Amino acid sequence: MAGISPARKHAMAERWLALAVQTYPVPSRRFLVDQRDPFRNPAGQALRKRIPELVEELFGEMDAGKVGAALEDLMRLRAVQRFSAREAVGFLFGLKTILREESAADWETLARWEERVDELALAAFDLFMRFREQIYQIQADEARRRVAQLERMYSREG
Amino acid sequence: MPETATRPEELVRISYDPPPGDWRGSPVEFRKGTFCHAAGAKSVRYLELPNPRDWQPTDQDWKLPPNWKEIILAGMKERLERFRSFRLFMDICVRCGACADKCHFYLGSADPKNMPVLRAELIRSVYRRYFTTAGKVFRSLAGARDLTEDVLKEWFYYFYQCTECRRCSVFCPFGIDTAEITMMVRELLNLVGVNTNWVLEPAANCYRTGNHLGIQPHGFKDSIDFAVDDLEDLTGVRVEAPINRKGAEILFVVPSADYFATPHYYTLLGYLALFHEIGLDYTFSAYASEGGNFGLFSSHEMMKRLNAKIYAEAKRLGVKWVLGGECGHMWRVIHQYMDTLNGPADFLEEPVSPVTGTRFENARSTKMVHICEFTADLIHAHKLKLDSRRNDHWTVTYHDSCNPARAMGLLEEPRYILRRVANRFHEMPENTIREQTFCCGSGAGLGSDENIEMRLRGGLPRANAVKYVRDKYGVNLLTCICAIDKATLPTALAYWAPGVEVGGVHELVGNALVMKGEKERTTDLRGQPLGQGAEAIHA
Repeated sequence: MAGISPARKHAMAERWLALAVQTYPVPSRRFLVDQRDPFRNPAGQALRKRIPELVEELFGEMDAGKVGAALEDLMRLRAVQRFSAREAVGFLFGLKTILREESAADWETLARWEERVDELALAAFDLFMRFREQIYQIQADEARRRVAQLERMYSREG
Repeated sequence: MPETATRPEELVRISYDPPPGDWRGSPVEFRKGTFCHAAGAKSVRYLELPNPRDWQPTDQDWKLPPNWKEIILAGMKERLERFRSFRLFMDICVRCGACADKCHFYLGSADPKNMPVLRAELIRSVYRRYFTTAGKVFRSLAGARDLTEDVLKEWFYYFYQCTECRRCSVFCPFGIDTAEITMMVRELLNLVGVNTNWVLEPAANCYRTGNHLGIQPHGFKDSIDFAVDDLEDLTGVRVEAPINRKGAEILFVVPSADYFATPHYYTLLGYLALFHEIGLDYTFSAYASEGGNFGLFSSHEMMKRLNAKIYAEAKRLGVKWVLGGECGHMWRVIHQYMDTLNGPADFLEEPVSPVTGTRFENARSTKMVHICEFTADLIHAHKLKLDSRRNDHWTVTYHDSCNPARAMGLLEEPRYILRRVANRFHEMPENTIREQTFCCGSGAGLGSDENIEMRLRGGLPRANAVKYVRDKYGVNLLTCICAIDKATLPTALAYWAPGVEVGGVHELVGNALVMKGEKERTTDLRGQPLGQGAEAIHA
């Protein structure tokens, strides 16, 4: 899958980032994109860091580790941000339009890329569900910690 | 591209834009996981607060009193006259936006109404409508809006998305204390019976038995005795932990989570070891068995009622001064309100360390000293024998808990202690610590199970900085001096920065403290095996 220049990849990543940011309310979009300090803007910077990585992998090896790490960060964030599953994952499909408009690839190449986008989306959906389930687990763990010593005490007495 | 190509993205096309219209008009959606449950009638009744009933925020009908609007507006009027700060904060904001991106809830959610300026605008708009001439005449043109049930619901939703951490206030050029605005709105909501169970049930328990869980004196004694047994198992040293002992020099007050929750409990073990080692003449109180004060999260009157027990017990037991444990908002109440709420404590003496002779002039008025000030002084005077290698299994960072950091300026003492009891200590990035510290996302009564999704949004900026030091330095322990931090940061970190535990400063003091007559320590206070470095010293 050679032939995509770094500049083109960058342009695609920027468009895709803009699409992801559109899932947030209008007054917050500029801040999410513009504030580059990762500690002042952790959510926006997660998007800015991870989206180009996914673009790189899409045209590269689709390395499971790298794709997984990038998607994990994105889905960990979006799993707690008011999104339904559809809304959380949906922006990934927007890459298909970007691929068509930003590349001069033939139909077959385009189809292969789109399959990869589908793979990304399915993996993202799995992760979204994993994080939603984790929220319930950590909720239960916290409840146990809250009275852990009382439980120990009563079990020793009992 | 061929015309016939399928366009699967069209099947999942989503409108990304919010509904059109004025932001002030859109009603709040109460989505599960993002709000706290309403206070049960039992607690409301116990505290003799208005309008006890069973209801939930998701109900269409909140069962407000028929004249709720008059009650709120009269409450506003009264508070505008009573608190000069409230009127000032309503009037002076110029919407410069300096605070806009400083709130952890905004950073985690990107919800514009979590910008402190906009959150405050939710009540300012009502203030303008009913208390300013321009607002009365020009209405929405002057940024004013009517007080409606939807507005009230919005207040409930967003002012319980403020942890009163006061980070935004650090950046406000006018010094507007957004936490005070939140406190005012919550007071107003309380007037019509709109309050949360996570705040009022602990408050009711505190009022009855002195602590959040409603543990009675015999239960309190069992808990402390249990800790004494545990400490003996771990160290081989039997310590005394007196309760309600009249004539002791010092009354020691802790947050109740220290004796029933994990990881708080290890900090309690640390205190007990420390006090034994220096031979401190102190006592716990079975009634002042809670430093935490959820009154701060509902009203000034409630704060005063719940705080009163500290001085009352100090007087009853005849102590000279009061020492306080690792807690967050407890210290905001003590440092900023207690003296005027329930003082002057003229029956107490200016605190003096019985070990070093240091006079705590900073506590001359309240007569109450923070345990970190006390311990840092002990270490500074070389009164403790410490083996920091016993903490070598930890690579430590320190989270400035909002209230001790921003409300009382306790920045150096915990760090001074940590650097002497642990060998590997790394700071998080500068704009996430000290005065600029990020809140855990669960303070001010928001730390409930049902609010978990909102808490995780709010916890992101803090956890993000923890993740950074975890990846860069291998940090595996976040220390802090707040009971709410200790309860909720393990949850936030399990989600955002797995692999980092949470502990107290005095837990590490207890690990490092070499006690006279102790057995060979093979574990830390958690019962975990000590690392290589620690084993070496006993070899």
